[in-house]
Amino acid sequence: MTFFSDERATELRDLFFESAQELLQALNDEGLELERKPKDPEIVRDIRRTVHTLKGDSAACGFKELSELAHAIEDALTPNVVQNGNGALVELVLHAADTFDSMLTAYRTNGAQPNADHVRALIRRLTEQPKARGEGELQIEFVWTEYEQLLISKAAEKGIPLYNLAIEVDAQCPMRIAALQLVKNVLQHLGALVVVRPEGDFLPEHVATICAVIASSQPADAIEKKIQVPSISRRTVLESYVREGESRDNIVRRATSLAVKAVAAPAPVAPAPTVEPPKAEAPKNAVDHSLPALMPIEDGDDERTEAAAPSSLSISPENLLRVDAERIDAVLNLVGELIINKSMLNQTLSDFGKQHAKDPLRAKFADGMAFQAQILNELQRSVMKIRMVPVEQLFRRFPRVVRDVARANGKQCELIISGQNTDLDKSILDALAEPMMHLVRNAVDHGIEMPNERTAAGKPAKGTLKLNAYYQGNQVLIELSDDGAGIDRDRVVARAIANNILSEKEADKLSEQEALSLIFQPGLSTAEQVTEISGRGMGMDIVQSVLKRLKGSIGIQTERGKGTTFQLRVPLTLAIMQALLFRVAKRLYAVPLGSVVEIARTTQSHIHTVDHHEVLQLRDQIITLVRLDALEGRKRAAATGKEKIFVIVVSLGDRRFGLVVDKLEGEEELVIKALEDSLVATELVSGASILGDGTVVLILNVASVVERLGRAAVGGGARKLGASA
Amino acid sequence: MITQMLQRDGAIEVVGTAMDGTFGLRKIEELRPDVVTLDLEMPQMDGIETLRQIMRRNPLPVIVVSSHSTEGASETFKALQLGAFDFVAKPQENVSTMIDTIADELVAKVKVAGTARKPKVEVASVDEQRLLQVRKPPRPAQNKRMNPSKIVAIGISTGGPNALLYLLSQLPADFPGSIVVVQHMPQGFTQMFSHRLNEACAIDVKEAQSGDLLLAGRALICPGNRHMRVRHMPLGDVVVLADDGRVNGHRPSADVLFRSVAQEFGAKTVALIMTGMGEDGADGIKAVKDAGGLAVAQDEASSVVFGMPKVAIERGNVNRVVPLDALANLLQVQCATQRAITT
Repeated sequence: MTFFSDERATELRDLFFESAQELLQALNDEGLELERKPKDPEIVRDIRRTVHTLKGDSAACGFKELSELAHAIEDALTPNVVQNGNGALVELVLHAADTFDSMLTAYRTNGAQPNADHVRALIRRLTEQPKARGEGELQIEFVWTEYEQLLISKAAEKGIPLYNLAIEVDAQCPMRIAALQLVKNVLQHLGALVVVRPEGDFLPEHVATICAVIASSQPADAIEKKIQVPSISRRTVLESYVREGESRDNIVRRATSLAVKAVAAPAPVAPAPTVEPPKAEAPKNAVDHSLPALMPIEDGDDERTEAAAPSSLSISPENLLRVDAERIDAVLNLVGELIINKSMLNQTLSDFGKQHAKDPLRAKFADGMAFQAQILNELQRSVMKIRMVPVEQLFRRFPRVVRDVARANGKQCELIISGQNTDLDKSILDALAEPMMHLVRNAVDHGIEMPNERTAAGKPAKGTLKLNAYYQGNQVLIELSDDGAGIDRDRVVARAIANNILSEKEADKLSEQEALSLIFQPGLSTAEQVTEISGRGMGMDIVQSVLKRLKGSIGIQTERGKGTTFQLRVPLTLAIMQALLFRVAKRLYAVPLGSVVEIARTTQSHIHTVDHHEVLQLRDQIITLVRLDALEGRKRAAATGKEKIFVIVVSLGDRRFGLVVDKLEGEEELVIKALEDSLVATELVSGASILGDGTVVLILNVASVVERLGRAAVGGGARKLGASA
Repeated sequence: MITQMLQRDGAIEVVGTAMDGTFGLRKIEELRPDVVTLDLEMPQMDGIETLRQIMRRNPLPVIVVSSHSTEGASETFKALQLGAFDFVAKPQENVSTMIDTIADELVAKVKVAGTARKPKVEVASVDEQRLLQVRKPPRPAQNKRMNPSKIVAIGISTGGPNALLYLLSQLPADFPGSIVVVQHMPQGFTQMFSHRLNEACAIDVKEAQSGDLLLAGRALICPGNRHMRVRHMPLGDVVVLADDGRVNGHRPSADVLFRSVAQEFGAKTVALIMTGMGEDGADGIKAVKDAGGLAVAQDEASSVVFGMPKVAIERGNVNRVVPLDALANLLQVQCATQRAITT
């Protein structure tokens, strides 16, 4: 049933898919939040609101399965379910989020709807309690009415210990009618029966649990034994009654389960966790619906508050515009063309100036150009801003990942996120999703140790994972650090040697950094080896290749026993960059200004050859030099000893090297045009740009250069480089 | 939708509709209707502001249509305080099944509003803001309030929120009687209502829960969609809520409360039947009178709708007829004089 034309319907669906993703993310967040603060009514309300919105939206789009499931979940989130089913509730919310996600995918791809049975089973488990909840403790919170409290406080004056107790009556109990009377008899033998619920002599049909307060001088063990009335009691809870203001230190709590009939539990369900010490003293305004079965559920509370608070996605929808990324890219492209055009005009202007230096028109022309340039800058920045999204969009997925991986491995891990407001180009952020996921998983899987190992090492049992993002110049740095075991350098190297990635001799010469970067080698990345070298390896080569594609880099710092930090460095944007232009062997190159540390001037005589490498001593640092023509395998012009040369010192992560260049051409804002692979034979170049005068400039891929340098240093390339030096 | 609901009844003519408050005000000037229905959620000028303007320019009975939410409840009370005649709560879900009930309610209320005289702005308007600012004396400790001198049962409907605020705010914190109230109001609204009364009054006002104690200086408001009864227990007196069927078409029903109070407390009871349409409570209050308690009806002049009290008076079920502004005094005198006997 749809009220819209086909086109509108499609649009509506697209809109729904997008907003649904946000809702699912919110649901995930809320589930995790609930795990931290079980029973927090505020969070449950948020969850209800999210599910409710999802239900409404999906129903509007005609996605029946999704809206029905959402409806079932919403219905299940009644206050007494929340009170009693804390752990299982979190499971339900998280599993529901997963199922919703696969449902959405199915809708989008017109695929088969996923099976939602396990979610429904979870709902059933939650809602059919306590009668059919099978094993696990009877979970109950004793909240007594004002009158009952009065009775209790009167009884307490006598000084006899008081106990709260609950007996769940077996559904198969053959003498259900008499059960209440029998239980009362038992309790009266134990001591004074202060309060008993339900009232009356017979157990009403819908009541499954008998709750009572008794005053008894008998030991708790004896009481507990007695309340296991054969063929009546299914599960029982006994706890000492704590008066307001009394210490809860010595409170006795016992829960027993009799006649456990195994109820087939769905696979993904964690066993019902134990309840927290229940509140024995009901607060003055306690709501009586915490006693299921005894009181009709008053779910009016939630209905009322449903519309009260604003949605957690607090950006007001009227000011939010959803635009296809392609449209923005089209604008960006045009801006790029304008910038090239600007350089062209500038070039023309300067040519004109040379010919007609005195012409008054030139000054006017120049003013106009300057003004235009300013606007162009503004325009460019505005367009770029549209593409920028906070890294939070990526980061917010990780709390769930960390939780799941940690749980699966029996580890404890906390994720601390900071800098989530740092903006990054959407396409870069999207590309980072996979590598980041690898890194985060690995950090929990291999970085953080098991709780007992951690305590043995004098660390808190719970590991900490920190995720941070911040700007540095034109780049964004993302750091992921764990306080785990660190990477065993020697074992990484040993593994590399075993895999014929390098020879033992070469291994000896490796710097700390170089050794660690071996983990990015594809040969070290099979799962079997990962566990063996206790390091990270799975997908590490993927991580690096993605970063390379993004013109980014990755650095590692590790300390045995203290932890590991991965530092990802990516450009703010891929489309436009500030670059330094230079010539090597007549060819025009550009290198991102962000990676330039300094420019040094030296002569050939200051360059030394150490270990087949050309090096330059710059103040107190030795820098490896790179000659692009040599790396590219072209023949280099013979160098004369006195010739002045420029060295551009470039940094990538923690590594620095010097580019030997013939001539510096200046700084320019480049609009990067992607190059098709077939056009450029070398991976050293990541793209090209056109200058105002039409000259093509090649943009150097710093990461590849470093890698080539590394390979040249440790592999066969060294000889070649050495030979040419 | 409102128009359709109203047109079902032949006695009602819909003279005009307006899409927002600004238009509404203009049309009211132009068409001079007998009754206005006003949705509190409107574009442009909101419902509250529109109501304020209506009341300032030419007061006439306004029935507010409010949403079933916390905010809705809060806005509704604001509207009633500004002089709105009554309100109808929009259903939240199951619109189709609820629609007849809502329509009937709306039609009935519009009809009563049309025949009602000018709203009693003088009596009804209590300066709630001023009440909120007054520093209240501390309420006595629970154990000092265990034995209320009398049980005051109140049955009230249309015009009730303002009348109750007016009455209860005049009672002191050490008021020796205990009050139980049935106010016809949908589920959800009663909690907000109780909360507001509690803030504004010296006595303690609470939405009732089963097992709550009848304490001196306390008023328990029956939650919407439940029935409230009282029960005498060895250690103290309590209210018991139940879900049995509607009585007189109402849940909560004043008849249920009155009969229960008469049965449990007999002569210790004071029952008030106050402003409201229909006849809920009119029969039940007889039980109080017969049991030796005092049955009182609010008088016509001070009632926004003289329905329930009128029927009770006509059937000879009450002892006295008293204006709203004399009720607080009456309760004080009644409860105080009996203290010696009960203790």
